[in-house]
Amino acid sequence: MATVIPLSGAQAASSRLPHAASTTLPPRVEEERGPARGRVFEAISRSEAFPSEIHESLLAEPAVVEVRDFRLWYARKQALFDISMRIPRGKLTALVGPSGCGKSTLLRSVNRLNDLVDGVSIEGDMLLNGDSIYGRSVDVIDLRKRIGMVFQKPNPFPMSIFENVVYALRIDGVRDTRVLEEVCERSLRGAGLWDEVKDRLRESALQLSGGQQQRLCIARAIAAEPEVLLLDEPCSALDPIATGRIEDLIEELKGDYSILMVTHNMQQASRTSDFTAFLYLGRLVEYGPTNDIFLKPRLRETEDYVTGRFG
Amino acid sequence: MALETATPPATDPAPAPARRRRTRVSGKGRAWDAIFAGLARGSTVLTLLILAALVAVLFESAVPSIRENGAKFLVSSEWRPNEREVQKRDAAGHLVMEDGEVATETLPAEFGALPVIWGTAASSLLALLFAVPIGFGAALFLVRICKPRLGGPLSFLIEFLAAVPSIAYGMWGLMVLAPLLQDHIEPFLRSVLDVPGLHWLFHETIQVGGESITRVLPLSGRDMLCGGLVLGIMILPIVTAISRDVLRAVPREQIEGSLALGATWWQSSWAMLRYSRAGLLGAVLLGLARAAGETMAVTMVIGNNNQIKASIFAPAQTMSSLLANEFAEATTELHRAALIEIALVLLLMSLAFNISARMLVTGGATKSGGRR
Repeated sequence: MATVIPLSGAQAASSRLPHAASTTLPPRVEEERGPARGRVFEAISRSEAFPSEIHESLLAEPAVVEVRDFRLWYARKQALFDISMRIPRGKLTALVGPSGCGKSTLLRSVNRLNDLVDGVSIEGDMLLNGDSIYGRSVDVIDLRKRIGMVFQKPNPFPMSIFENVVYALRIDGVRDTRVLEEVCERSLRGAGLWDEVKDRLRESALQLSGGQQQRLCIARAIAAEPEVLLLDEPCSALDPIATGRIEDLIEELKGDYSILMVTHNMQQASRTSDFTAFLYLGRLVEYGPTNDIFLKPRLRETEDYVTGRFG
Repeated sequence: MALETATPPATDPAPAPARRRRTRVSGKGRAWDAIFAGLARGSTVLTLLILAALVAVLFESAVPSIRENGAKFLVSSEWRPNEREVQKRDAAGHLVMEDGEVATETLPAEFGALPVIWGTAASSLLALLFAVPIGFGAALFLVRICKPRLGGPLSFLIEFLAAVPSIAYGMWGLMVLAPLLQDHIEPFLRSVLDVPGLHWLFHETIQVGGESITRVLPLSGRDMLCGGLVLGIMILPIVTAISRDVLRAVPREQIEGSLALGATWWQSSWAMLRYSRAGLLGAVLLGLARAAGETMAVTMVIGNNNQIKASIFAPAQTMSSLLANEFAEATTELHRAALIEIALVLLLMSLAFNISARMLVTGGATKSGGRR
């Protein structure tokens, strides 16, 4: 279980960078402008804290998930530093950044899958529609029922297509066949898979192609009407055609669901998402409307990354 | 190479440069290579030959019994190694008098293996009933709950159970478990379970002087239950170790996939068991094979009585315990042949269990999910 270990972010970082002097965290002021252009990476290398560059237009959006001063360690290694961000409701937010920047860690922190990893400890909190995620009295099982997740590799269970889709309801004890069939059809239609599989719902899900399996996993994730949908590089194991179909599907889901998506693919982020957050070495660097992040980012680092100059 | 460099250059009168640069093994080295390769290959072939010889010799020695008994061997429940003189009775069950004496008749020797086949099957299934839930539970604990630092020693201890000599289990069963069953557990079970519908568990019908008498089954402690329990403990390590390996091979995404949908610990464990069911079935079959072939311990605790009784509180006999009990005393050729035929049946059974189990475990571990 997550326990808080008495280590400030700056100390943990300095233990990783032996030459860096340990610095105290300056008080966070939202209005304060970030470091001068091009100075963010320098600040990180000196393990100094810096305010994330968050575009003002985000503040007007109602948040489905709110991340508050979130820090996370794998054993002694700090993976996330003071992340504060609001995930807008009914929109698609993309998390981008080079490998190892903490995108997936942040995503998996929302439904507390990191609890399973040995040695993980966290500070700070997240809110799901106003309810604490890491509070003491939170029932993790109930929490996860409110959140849907799709993984990198399609992971259908070795059961029939039907049973896969209604798994969330089954483990909730729903027995009513009429309800299950209704949910199955609605979810499969939602995932754009209904027409392809409606005649073989009782057949094994493992017979489906990779792309179909991933859409099945999306159907499974939306069957219980989650408040937020987490997508962890949902296309990384798929061929371009299957990827295209999943992207179209994500586009369609976007209005009905609040989606947080990790992606390595800049085109995918710019095509599909409403908002984009750029993470680097466990810090939230810049976060704003996707158009702004890709066309007129405020930080040089963001620009360098989204234009492919590094990463 | 080693041979080449080991030769001191000084003793070589005219070292040819081309020869020194050679990287291939010299002729002598290659000869040794060929010999070792031949030995290795020979060992494998020898092992297979031993297996083949075993089957062939057993079959050959069993031929008299196969010829004499035929299919009756597998279906008859009468095991009478020597002909026996009994009092003659008429159809009503009364003794027949001849010349003022009780007439006798001689029953020929008969060999029916059904009681021991039943005994082996029932005691093995009983063993699985104990070992499988505990083994799966322990495997889940080792894979999902306990920290690696604790898991290593625990796994070692469980696997160590498999290295304990069979006779040690037998002695423990005879001196500890059987008295415990006889004095405490079985009387308690009888006081609780002897209700209408379950009377067959605690009563038996026997023939006395041509009449059927139903009596309370004497609780001996050395019975089918005791044999099954001891066998269960003996196969627990193999069931645990294999199901642990099989469960460890479940992909992380499968477990996280069910957890992310709000599965409880138990529900996601169930999903794991479901995912690896082919491999787990293999673990069960390997346990079954071991239980079916186990001899010494079961001979000591099962009561050694050639009978088919529905009750687990009645003494029984397995194929292997029958062999252990009678083989040294088999005097007639037919008796020996019949015992050997039992050994042959047992061997083929174990072989079938093992082969199907291996296929399930390796197939399940590598491409589980690939099918169905």
